[in-house]
Amino acid sequence: MSTELTLVENMTISPLHLFTSLLGLTTLTAADFDWIREAVSPDPEAAWKEIPWETSLLAGQARAAREQKPIFIWAMDGHPLGCT
Amino acid sequence: MLDRALSFSDPRIIERLQREFVPVAIDQAYQRRQKDAEGRFYQKIANQGPRQVGNGGPTTQGHYLAAPDGTFLTYGNHRDPEHLLERLDEALTAYQPTATAAIEPGKLDPKWNPAPPEGGLVLRVHSRILDGYAEPTTTRAAVFSEAIGRDNAWVRAEEHASLLAGTFPDSLARRLARFHFVDNTRGEPSMWDKSEVKDLSIELNTGKVTGTFSLETSDQRRRYVGDLIGYIESDQDRITRFELAVKGQFRGEGQYTRGAPEGDFPLALFIELATGEDPADAIPPQGSRGWIENYW
Repeated sequence: MSTELTLVENMTISPLHLFTSLLGLTTLTAADFDWIREAVSPDPEAAWKEIPWETSLLAGQARAAREQKPIFIWAMDGHPLGCT
Repeated sequence: MLDRALSFSDPRIIERLQREFVPVAIDQAYQRRQKDAEGRFYQKIANQGPRQVGNGGPTTQGHYLAAPDGTFLTYGNHRDPEHLLERLDEALTAYQPTATAAIEPGKLDPKWNPAPPEGGLVLRVHSRILDGYAEPTTTRAAVFSEAIGRDNAWVRAEEHASLLAGTFPDSLARRLARFHFVDNTRGEPSMWDKSEVKDLSIELNTGKVTGTFSLETSDQRRRYVGDLIGYIESDQDRITRFELAVKGQFRGEGQYTRGAPEGDFPLALFIELATGEDPADAIPPQGSRGWIENYW
């Protein structure tokens, strides 16, 4: 897929990127792939992940009823385990 | 982001939520609007607290503690661990255990219960700002400077089939660009309108994915220009590896993502198959909220 490239005033992209973009080519290498994966991967042992979060309120209610425990609801704008 | 790093990384809170409570994490933008059993249960609890549904406020967010029958115990909206521990104490003091039945889900409100497409794929999308922040002088700034954002991307069955056949579908390329090539490291991100996709090229060639993109708002205050590289592998009828590394220069911020670095800064994404082992794998894409048709 390739759609029309619109160049915008003051766009600060490098001449190399401009050239490769016009051709629809990437400047990223296999080595870039490896370090980006490493840099952007979250810590699988992050402390907050030790909490057994339910993502369904009714599943949490059923578990709370069964275990006779109160429910702690972390209610946010955007999902608390994702975009917030 | 801040809650995960501050409140819910405190070992005292982790231990108490594991032992004394049933912890639930939700995007209340769904439950406060849902016209079904789950929505009614959430609204019953919220309406006993300080932020009643339909009371004119834009949100009911916070920490609610309630009995399994919906009896309100207490509420807080402060990420200081000491404050949160006080709320846990209050809740346990007020809680009177009684036999309560599980609530039957019944008929779900389809607008607020989107499901991953049958025969499709769920992808994890992580994001991180690689550089550009000033040296942090506050805890909040330190958390944001290291933050990794998370969302899920959904792939339709026909797009899955297209990938198996060796073609990266245009519809998936556009969806990734519009809803997932975003800076969500400080909260709910602004996404891209169709007209803001200035250039997009993603090709799949014998298992290797390459591409370039240019996204920009009409006022030029927010933009993301970059490249991607990745790999796709499959067995006969299923994608077994879908990994994309994305890197580019980002500029700007959204209404709920204030505090971006000044000027252009490097933003990287990594996209991979969800395994279903992480509770967050079940969360619908942020861009589908309340309007799944727009996401497709």
